[in-house]
Amino acid sequence: MNSATKKWLCLKYSSAILIPLMIWFIINLSSIYDSNYDEVVKFFSKSLSKLLFSLFLIFAYLFSSLTINEIFEDYIHNEKIKNVANKVLYIFAIVIPLITIMSILNLNI
Amino acid sequence: MKKENNPLAPHLQIYKWQISSLLSITHRIVGVINIIAISIICFWVTSLLFGNVNYEITQLLLQSILGKFLILALCWTFSFHVLNEIRHLAWDLGYGFDLKISKITGIFVILGSFALTILFFFLGKGLF
Repeated sequence: MNSATKKWLCLKYSSAILIPLMIWFIINLSSIYDSNYDEVVKFFSKSLSKLLFSLFLIFAYLFSSLTINEIFEDYIHNEKIKNVANKVLYIFAIVIPLITIMSILNLNI
Repeated sequence: MKKENNPLAPHLQIYKWQISSLLSITHRIVGVINIIAISIICFWVTSLLFGNVNYEITQLLLQSILGKFLILALCWTFSFHVLNEIRHLAWDLGYGFDLKISKITGIFVILGSFALTILFFFLGKGLF
């Protein structure tokens, strides 16, 4: 299979998985955003919240790194700048969710 | 064709504005806004590990009108992205390519995103 086809399939599968996770997250964010510290920690301490929020982050960053990479391909002329931008994008897409997932795994009430 | 010879997309001002181009460009902008917002939320969640010493400031911000506006704005960007992504997935499965249907689904995405924003926010608040 062509690498572009693999990338496209990865994009489409991640998008299909992301849709229910986005709906779950935005409803729960609306529910807890103005709560006090204990209530927010209580929410993120639940096993289901840890699992779904971790999956949400993994797929959100996977999907966005693939789509933002396409935007770079479309609009950045300079190859060197494009390569640096892509590397920075991939580093952020790994580091931010990794740190956040490790944080919520250590979060307990 | 060599990779460095790939054609670039035309600049945005070249397009004649129509519903499909408007939604395509908005989809990309909203996608970038969403990932920036998710990154900020990641910092917010990580900061919970440091205890509740400075949390009052965050809570005051989130309880203010600005905080409510930011959450409602995020509800809209998520709603728009979800609906337009479903439209894209339908296209990928071969449905909705007809020009008339494409325009109708485009209008549905715009109007539906506002309805879904209200629905998500009030579902979150337990008001439904």
